Amino acid sequence: MTIEFRDVHASYDANTPILRGVSFTVNDGEFVAFVGTNGAGKSTTMRLVNGLMKPESGEVLIDGVPTTQLKTSELARRVGFLFQNPDSQICCNTVREELLFGFRALKMDMDDAARRVDGIIAEFGFNPDDDPFLLNRGTRQLLALASIVVLETPVVVLDEPTTGLDFRECVKVMDIIRRLHERGTTVVMVCHDMEVVADFAERVIVMSDGLVVDQGPTFEVLRNRRTLEAASLVPPQIVDISLALQLMDPALVESPIARANTLAELYAAIAPDAQAVSFEGVAR
Amino acid sequence: MIEIRNFTFTYRESDAPVVRDINLSIPAGSFVGITGAAGSGKSTLTYAMNGIIPHCYPGDFFGSVTVDGLDTCETSLTDISQIVGSVCQDIDSQIVTSIVEDEMLYGLENFGVPHNEIEKRVEEALEDMGISDLRDRVIASLSGGQKQKVAIASILALKPKVLMLDEPTAELDPASSLQVFQLLARYAREHGTTVVVVEQKIALVSEFADMLVIVDKGTIRFADTPANVLAHSEELLEIGVNCPRATTLMNRLAADGVYNGPVCRNVEEACYALMGILGGNPVGRALAESEAIA
Repeated sequence: MTIEFRDVHASYDANTPILRGVSFTVNDGEFVAFVGTNGAGKSTTMRLVNGLMKPESGEVLIDGVPTTQLKTSELARRVGFLFQNPDSQICCNTVREELLFGFRALKMDMDDAARRVDGIIAEFGFNPDDDPFLLNRGTRQLLALASIVVLETPVVVLDEPTTGLDFRECVKVMDIIRRLHERGTTVVMVCHDMEVVADFAERVIVMSDGLVVDQGPTFEVLRNRRTLEAASLVPPQIVDISLALQLMDPALVESPIARANTLAELYAAIAPDAQAVSFEGVAR
Repeated sequence: MIEIRNFTFTYRESDAPVVRDINLSIPAGSFVGITGAAGSGKSTLTYAMNGIIPHCYPGDFFGSVTVDGLDTCETSLTDISQIVGSVCQDIDSQIVTSIVEDEMLYGLENFGVPHNEIEKRVEEALEDMGISDLRDRVIASLSGGQKQKVAIASILALKPKVLMLDEPTAELDPASSLQVFQLLARYAREHGTTVVVVEQKIALVSEFADMLVIVDKGTIRFADTPANVLAHSEELLEIGVNCPRATTLMNRLAADGVYNGPVCRNVEEACYALMGILGGNPVGRALAESEAIA
């Protein structure tokens, strides 16, 4: 399922435009990360994808159909949406009810729903009778994610899925998102953590002040100094080292150091004689 | 400034202690970062330092906690809060008014700050956080990141001796997060403010803190300079704390005998160390490698 923005303008009140002509396409089955500073328009863009907001001008097309022509329920069957704060999303008294909520809201087959919910409870290791509001922040985030995953929508939109999580929780959440993507789901993610973006996204769209300022394959974008500066981005540390070393010694431009994007690649470039090292558990 | 001695605490509704036998001494004017996995007891430790424990959360309290010489068990929460300014993890539970300016005034007026000083404090704190333009905004209309900045500014305006912040940058982008840490470091340096920050962004906290405290299962596993703590990257990973990748890379090179210098906390330190490794003739070495690849 593709998502296409054509010269989209949007705002919450007429005096402060938030999006000022945004155009991009996310292809079927892609994993795309949106990056940029607070207030760049990333969350607003996500709201336009799932139809919580409609464009003032321009078009948002889901598989070629403008969101203005789709009912909220029709959009919800196509686009699963993970809010930045899980508490904006969780509304039921038990984990099981929370996971069933989407099926009820969308009036889907409840026998099938029960089967899928059982499956997801086992996959995530939840206790179905727990009260969601008594769970810790990381588990609430996982529950909110599970309630999207269980609906098996062709697109998922994730607004900062790793915010407020510790390292292990972050790994768990991103592992689930990676598996979802491997099964063919189109993933659109807003993320401030450049290490996560570098590890998982195939393509990056950079926003600044209501506009798309760059887009392309993840490392092409994250290695573009002009883009990094324009959007106040700090590249992932390995890319940062690779870029900085080239500045310190221009002769390195020709070396594999200049092309190293991951810990393992940079390690191998610096110590080519050492045996191959795995950084599993730390980074992909 | 803060002395924690043999401190063990069990919340009333739980069976086992959340933190056990904690000893920690935080000198005045220092910048302390606390990190650890979720549920390790980080927040409980901050509650003990700002008096929320024992005054708001009842339970079994062993040992002692003193702040600026005052025993927190014998001092009222009002008096402790004049010394320790806290920014909560859940910003919405901290904000009490609906307009940014009112939120700034709330603490100042309640603390009896002289009227002629209030305006200056409000202006300064808003400017320090870079949110002077939000002064008249309705708080409900702000983004998560903006609200977080308002909450921090409202505490900065009180000029407490101790600033205690629980994950103050969770909702902030990298540029704003850096800005907050630079500001906190400036308060420690220029005003002698003692800063205690609970933070998951270990790369950021390692850059600024004098002392890095790692909490694991209710005990302090490490309390030392960031460089000395980060030297244990493998051990940290086992307890759910991931080091900055620059540190992980250099520690691995050190373990394999390729590097034998000090621990690198950040990209800059790693780069200088790597230039050393690439040697007296980095150009030749690099070219040799590229030829090997070709």
